[in-house]
Amino acid sequence: MRVVGLILAGGAGTRLGVLSEHRAKPAVPFAGRFRIIDFTLSNCVNSGITNVGVLTQYLPRSLNEHIGIGRPWDLDRSHGGVRLMQPYQGKGHQQWYGGTADAVLQNIDYLRETRADTVVVLSGDHIYKMDYRKMIQTHEEHHADLTLAVMNVGAEETSRFGIVLTEEDGRVSGFLEKPKEAPSTLANMGVYVFNTGALIERMLALASEHEDLDFGKHVIPSMVETHRIYTYPFDGYWVDVGTVDAYWSTSMELVSGKSRLDLYDDSWVIHTRSEERAAAKVGPQGQIQQSMVCNGCIVRGHVFRSILSPGVYVSPGAVVRESVIMNDTWIGPGAVVDRCIVDKNVVVGGGTLLGHGADYDTPNDKAPDKFYTGPTIVGKRAHIPQGVTIGRNVVIEPDVNDEDFDRFDCVVPSGMTVS
Amino acid sequence: MSSLAMILAGGEGPALSVLTAQRSEAAMPFAGKYRVIDFALSNCVNSGIFNVAVLTQYQPRSLNEHIGLGRPWDLDRTTGGVRLLQPYQSTKGQTGAWQEGTADAVRFNLDLARSVDNVLILPGDHIYKMDYNPLLRLHRDRDADVTVATKSVPAFEAHRFGMIGTDQTGGVIEYAEKPKRTYNTTASMGIYVFKAQVLADWLNGPGLKDTNLGRDSLPGLVRTGKVYAYQFHGYWEDAGTIQAYYEANMALLAETPALNMYDPDWVIHTRSEERAAAYLGETARVQGNLLCDGCQIEGTVVRSIISPGVRIAAGAEVRDSIILTDTQICAGAVVDRAILDKRVVVEEGAIVGDGDDLTPNRKFASRLNTGLTVIGKGAVVPAGVKLGRNVLVSHHVKARAYHGKDVASGETVG
Repeated sequence: MRVVGLILAGGAGTRLGVLSEHRAKPAVPFAGRFRIIDFTLSNCVNSGITNVGVLTQYLPRSLNEHIGIGRPWDLDRSHGGVRLMQPYQGKGHQQWYGGTADAVLQNIDYLRETRADTVVVLSGDHIYKMDYRKMIQTHEEHHADLTLAVMNVGAEETSRFGIVLTEEDGRVSGFLEKPKEAPSTLANMGVYVFNTGALIERMLALASEHEDLDFGKHVIPSMVETHRIYTYPFDGYWVDVGTVDAYWSTSMELVSGKSRLDLYDDSWVIHTRSEERAAAKVGPQGQIQQSMVCNGCIVRGHVFRSILSPGVYVSPGAVVRESVIMNDTWIGPGAVVDRCIVDKNVVVGGGTLLGHGADYDTPNDKAPDKFYTGPTIVGKRAHIPQGVTIGRNVVIEPDVNDEDFDRFDCVVPSGMTVS
Repeated sequence: MSSLAMILAGGEGPALSVLTAQRSEAAMPFAGKYRVIDFALSNCVNSGIFNVAVLTQYQPRSLNEHIGLGRPWDLDRTTGGVRLLQPYQSTKGQTGAWQEGTADAVRFNLDLARSVDNVLILPGDHIYKMDYNPLLRLHRDRDADVTVATKSVPAFEAHRFGMIGTDQTGGVIEYAEKPKRTYNTTASMGIYVFKAQVLADWLNGPGLKDTNLGRDSLPGLVRTGKVYAYQFHGYWEDAGTIQAYYEANMALLAETPALNMYDPDWVIHTRSEERAAAYLGETARVQGNLLCDGCQIEGTVVRSIISPGVRIAAGAEVRDSIILTDTQICAGAVVDRAILDKRVVVEEGAIVGDGDDLTPNRKFASRLNTGLTVIGKGAVVPAGVKLGRNVLVSHHVKARAYHGKDVASGETVG
């Protein structure tokens, strides 16, 4: 059997706001030193899938640099290994990937060249640990054309997922993409094992009808009647950190010590590309509780229920609470950072209160549908001056400078956007 | 000008006791996640020297695994790169024995140096950050046969070093190995640049019987050749004793340590396992520490160095100690002024470093006398047992070796 993995990593992740302004969603940092895509990539190699294509489109630079030739995953191989696949021009064909299945369709030559009989199609923006070998095994046992990984979701969430109806033996009898009213709570996780032949045949048959060919919308529904589709139930930890609120609360669960996601499991290591940094240093005045702190951090202040990525500096007297702080951000003396997501290379001036007050409910003025649950978000390389008080649901855009705060006269009320 | 770096990593480091029972001194862990040899290796690549030979002899397995193909240092190259060299047998009869010292080790591997102009000889067991380019430049500008990197030391330490006397131009006119009395305060760091031809001619000619480059070869070379001194002013430490090793580690906890490990322009590279961020739980109390990725702390940790994968349970307390990789400290245990090697288990309620009886270790009084307790790789300290000061526990000691009794200061287990 020859298996090839295809990771869909082209998504923009628009609901993550400024966090995905400079990078694709799979490249968003998670748990300090990982990127979201590390989970899927590591699942592949831990499952023995060493022939992996990563399909990128939206802001791929960050991903290209991260994955490179695949060293951290031992995917720098003579046979197989990792391949980054961008949309490309060709004779009689030049277009962006229109949908998930369209992205695969445009790389149909690659699928043929690998001569793989089984294709595992994965999403690059989910956080979970899963042994695909077991799923491939059930796929074979059922002589299935397609196997879908499924999990039960809450009744209120069904409209976000593809909902699957099954017979007793797990065979799929119906598939409803994001239904308003769901007859079941069994949701499609976007982890597919296809017979290559069936996949190619279906994609070619549907290509002329849909420019935005999508697995959930087109490919799977078209196969329910004619092909053998089975489910593979998964009850492990799985999250889609697609929104700022989900990102923040998943991170908070992780630092609480009660998360079901075990990142310290020797038998299923999540690999990532990391820069060489010395050990984290806690100063004599430092205090850290319920937090994750990466190599290269220097903590002279107090850190509670937070995640610090490599190279974060917390000055004496500064307090970081319930926040996610990304690489090489500098937090000035006496600053208080509360319930914030702060991107890389940000400077928080001394004495500044970032995320202040009890007004969690005023939504952001520019994106009230995305930022309304409280966390204040700071984009990459922003410079926040000293002594400013900044409320909740504030968005500070990447690269803003001290002058951009002038119009606020030291107080940025909740829900404002600084650009 | 082409240069080959030879890193001498075959030394046993006997003064480090159980810590070097199963690894060479160059493979000693440092600052939580590094090995001492990372400094010499990283200095090489940061100085643009990509042709590196590592000469091993004593317990090389740990080093072999650490260096591998040299990936972390980008030394996995088609031309040059890193080579690990072990003593070997030969039919000619003149080689084929164990290497007796630095000169001997270099002589065995001279064939490597045939196609280069200069050979840079580096001890693998020193902790320092140094750009070798100014040293090589001085060597070239003076057209020297040998250039020795030097450092000023106080007079009372002269007996530990090779001491150098120079003329006005930096030319070396005098060399004395570990002199009892000397007026000189310039010490050799054991770092030499040789013209490759001079090195080969000397070791196969007048110096054929030399075993040690400093003690045996340098005095003769000073008499017959052009030897220059290069002054180095930065941080440099030979952590060859337990106390020096402890102090060099602990010095990193200072607010502004003399050795800056966070300098993005002079990164010390190492081979590191993939581990998630350090996790600190609800009951964790940490102050003045180095914490590595992959450690999980629920207890109290003060002024200590915590390596990757170390677990410290709630209610445990670690003070002024160095804890190496994957060691586990259980609930209620106390570790005070101790060095715990890898995969040690300190069980519930055990105390390592108890009381204030500072009796030196009875077997190794000259090596273990400053109150530090040292526990070898994979050893167990059973629940409730108290270990005093200057106690030595050998590697892989099991719980039954204690016979359920406390261990008084100065004793050795296993």
